[in-house]
Amino acid sequence: MGSALGGAAVVGIGRTAFTRKSGRSTLAMTVESVREAVADAGLSVGDVDGIINFNTGDSVSSQRVAHAIGNDDIGWAVDIQGGGNVVAQVVSTAAAAIVTGQCDVAVVFRTLGSGTRYGRIDTTVQVGGDVQYGAPHGYLVPPQWFAMWARRHQHVYGSKPEDLGAVAVTQRTHAVANPHAIARTPMTIDDYMSSRMVFDPFRVPDCCYEVDGSVALVLTSEERARDLPHPPIHILGQGDSFGYGGNVDEFDDLTCMYSRDAARRLWSKTGLKAQDIDVALMYDCFTYTVMATFEDFGFCGKGEVGDFFREGRATYGGDVVVNPHGGLLSEGYLHGLNHHYEAVLQLRGGAGPRQVPDAKLALVTAGAGPYGSSLVYGSEVA
Amino acid sequence: MSAVEEIPPQPVPDEDSIAFWQATANGRLEVCRCQQCRRWLQPPLERCPGCWGETAFEPVAGTGNVHSFIVVHQPAIPGYRDKLPYTVALLELDEQAGLRLPGRLVGVEPEDVTVGQRVTAELEELPGGDFTVAVFRPV
Repeated sequence: MGSALGGAAVVGIGRTAFTRKSGRSTLAMTVESVREAVADAGLSVGDVDGIINFNTGDSVSSQRVAHAIGNDDIGWAVDIQGGGNVVAQVVSTAAAAIVTGQCDVAVVFRTLGSGTRYGRIDTTVQVGGDVQYGAPHGYLVPPQWFAMWARRHQHVYGSKPEDLGAVAVTQRTHAVANPHAIARTPMTIDDYMSSRMVFDPFRVPDCCYEVDGSVALVLTSEERARDLPHPPIHILGQGDSFGYGGNVDEFDDLTCMYSRDAARRLWSKTGLKAQDIDVALMYDCFTYTVMATFEDFGFCGKGEVGDFFREGRATYGGDVVVNPHGGLLSEGYLHGLNHHYEAVLQLRGGAGPRQVPDAKLALVTAGAGPYGSSLVYGSEVA
Repeated sequence: MSAVEEIPPQPVPDEDSIAFWQATANGRLEVCRCQQCRRWLQPPLERCPGCWGETAFEPVAGTGNVHSFIVVHQPAIPGYRDKLPYTVALLELDEQAGLRLPGRLVGVEPEDVTVGQRVTAELEELPGGDFTVAVFRPV
């Protein structure tokens, strides 16, 4: 069996350093990560004929990047408007473009510069759309929305602040072994519990670490991948869900997320289940995002995440290694494309001291709240 | 405190939401409702997504439960940096299961707020413009 997307594979990965303030344009950072990914694939920029990215109006267009890497013969260029929710969707869209013959070598990139910081608003704003009702009450930034969801989970399932802390501590412990991570100071549960409250029930370490940087992937056909230097990493299937118009106030059950529905699609298309997964790159804009989606994808029951992480089942030697790079919480918030970089590195066996032994299957999730996407990578075709 | 008085985020009404803001400005809390199947719709829509019936705004009682809440300690939002901490709740209105509005809680200390708490709406002028918002007070 297996998905037709298996006809494409990731063959190259690249990234810049992640920093708090790079002093560089999003275009400059993108050119660096794309050139690195193309070189990693054993290709030249002239081989690229497709390019896709996602952004929220805060970065550069696909065709602008193509021009800046010196390639003006691009046959497929796509810009998707969206945030962390669309990351896996963007990769599977690139794979689909390859298997349907729209392009042969596709670049996927995401870049964030210092002009983007989602956690605070610095100037007086006028807001329309779904947030016009909450914003006048001082309710406007994503950590507030998902703190609201986390409180509901605490009410319904009795999850505790320490359970969110177990996620933060596990991922920080992983980041300590990742020289690329921005937050590598070890953290204990006591450190977590004494950290500053920002949007109760969220503390500082419940929120991802916003950075400047860029990540790029290169995909090509399964056939062409055989001649390239790295073992191809295959896309075994995807499962997305886009409900409730993306409205964070209206979603029917705040103790779940999009993952409730995306998981059903993903597992049914791939014939896999959570217990088959070796490495789980869980989208983690906030600790609660990991909690809700980890349950929804079926790694454990509702309300069991705290124990699962505390008992060491989410780290090396456990059931599955969750975010071995430290995730958005500790490696840095590259909007989830860094999860794909890490998944590919792990499945190649190239993650060095943080290598998950014998990693063959990686789940990558993307998004929080009502909408998101997911896929499974494999080191072998299913 | 900043030298220049900051104002909170201001809503930008659109064709579907303007009646919500006109109602609060006139002292009433009203929510969009399908005139055919009687389903309440928040956020509002020109047509019901279920039966495609026409919609209109109708008054609600303004009573409901705290579905969830947060306590904001971080000076993240203009107009609120000198008002910390404050509590924002997602209220489930009595009219219909799942009919929710976000709003600030007033007349209660953050540590006394609980999920499921009964509240009632009252209208308050939003600093900085021509808008009136519904805040919620425990009963």
